Amino acid sequence: MAREAGRRSPAAAARSRAGFAFVSPAMLVMLLLVAYPLAYGMYISLFRTNLLNRWDFVGLTFFVQSLSDPGFLRSLFITALYAILVVSGHLLVGVTLAVVLASAIRLQVLFRAILILPWLFPEVVVALIFRWIFDPIFGLLNHVLETIGLISTQVAWLDDPTWAFVAVVGAAVWKGYPLVMLLALAGLQSIPRDRYEAAALDGAGRFAQFRYVSLPGLAPILGVAVILEFVWWFKHFTIVWLMTKGGPVDATNVVSIDIYRTAFQSFDFGRASAMAVIVLFICIAFAIAYRWLVPDEQA
Amino acid sequence: MSKPSSAIGGAHPLFYPLLLVACAIVMVPVLWMLSTSLKNETELFRDPLLLWPEKPTLAAFRSVFQDYPFGAYIRNSLVVVICATAISLAFSTLAGYGLSRFRFGGRGAFLAFLLLSQMFPSVMLIIPYFKILKSAGLLDSRLGLIVTYVSFTIPFCTWMMYGYFRSIPTELDEAAAIDGCGAVRTFFTVILPLALPGMVATSVYAFITGWNEYLFALILTNSEEQKTLPVGIGQLIGQYRIEWNELMAASIYSTIPLMIFFLFLQRYLISSLTAGAVKN
Repeated sequence: MAREAGRRSPAAAARSRAGFAFVSPAMLVMLLLVAYPLAYGMYISLFRTNLLNRWDFVGLTFFVQSLSDPGFLRSLFITALYAILVVSGHLLVGVTLAVVLASAIRLQVLFRAILILPWLFPEVVVALIFRWIFDPIFGLLNHVLETIGLISTQVAWLDDPTWAFVAVVGAAVWKGYPLVMLLALAGLQSIPRDRYEAAALDGAGRFAQFRYVSLPGLAPILGVAVILEFVWWFKHFTIVWLMTKGGPVDATNVVSIDIYRTAFQSFDFGRASAMAVIVLFICIAFAIAYRWLVPDEQA
Repeated sequence: MSKPSSAIGGAHPLFYPLLLVACAIVMVPVLWMLSTSLKNETELFRDPLLLWPEKPTLAAFRSVFQDYPFGAYIRNSLVVVICATAISLAFSTLAGYGLSRFRFGGRGAFLAFLLLSQMFPSVMLIIPYFKILKSAGLLDSRLGLIVTYVSFTIPFCTWMMYGYFRSIPTELDEAAAIDGCGAVRTFFTVILPLALPGMVATSVYAFITGWNEYLFALILTNSEEQKTLPVGIGQLIGQYRIEWNELMAASIYSTIPLMIFFLFLQRYLISSLTAGAVKN
């Protein structure tokens, strides 16, 4: 700071000091509450430890073991598939509904209010509602399917590996699409109208207008949303944990649940920390993609 | 056709059926939750299923307070989330202003770290926090939860306030400076009043995030007196016989604050959420 100040005018140096003063409380809190625990977590990953009296240094052993453990690799694969399906679902549903809501639709305010609702439910509540709907004996889904004659016996949806996975994806899509819908709606409304008029003059139909005007206009917003969403759902825990506990037979064992179990049920804290660091690196790969997509934020 | 000038294209005839299906998919689970919460125990497990209770009752809404320490869960959630939100808001407002108005050493690194902090898996921080709070004797305490909640609300609050301050023209700062205001006085008397809508939106986001948070509270508390609402509701499902009417009543209680916030503040919330994304 002092070296820099020497090169600048006194006024600029004063402004630099003022800026630092405004930011320093938050910076201090983040160093203490975010950076320090993060570094400490990396430190723990180098030890075989119960966090109490046993701290055996093992170096990178847990990283090597985790990356060659078929169970962990499988849970990474399940998590990636989960995140990809959930985010694709959000995009498909969110953008479609945004296009519909942005058109000259009647009762637009009412439809929008209803379609935003899932966003307002806590994740715990969403998980419980869907578990209740999928209940084999008293669940609404089996009742409806039996009434219309699609099934003849009660199906235990959450006890079947494939259906359980479909169910946790479905619940997450239901919960999360409104955010993408709102972003896409705002994006559509910010696209200048004359572009549509120009496209119409060139003979572009409705679909062509969407393809060549709306979609390019939405691309920057959706690009950012996809990456942030992917990271959020990649580390998601609550809905899956409360609906299936990662089962049946690990079919929905996303990596957050795997780490939670390793740490707080097997008390293998070092290994769990190593797994978490691996997940962090995967997420950082997306952080880099994020910065690459929004370079002007860093200017 | 309320706003024909802003509409993009006419309403295709297929749009209405599509909207109705989408609304049904949204409303069926919501109405099923409501219907379940209004049932008594015999109606709950009636075969064939009762779609709407014959004798709707608010019994489940009362009994959650008698059968479980539900009052304590609500109190804990409110105390933890309000304290964490207030702390985050204060720090992030100052930081957001500093970031938007001044160049200083470490600014770029700080912005990068803010973004990066969105990438941390929460399970990554929870193991060290478990150890740190245990050593500090703060495990199973509201203070411990407040500290961790600040840790994950402060980065995105700072990011939101930074975005909001950037939307306030710097000419105002300059005019204040010409009038002889220092940086601190400019901030408190000129800019802060203008930033109020942004502060409201930011604190509502922090509140919602904390109110919904499950994993940290699950691991860092274990006595009934310290548990938060999501953890209290979540554990009802582990019981031998699940009282779904009480569970759904509890779920409705925990959703109400978010509905109220949204109802009154939706204009602020949506515009602040999308401002950063659209303007850039």
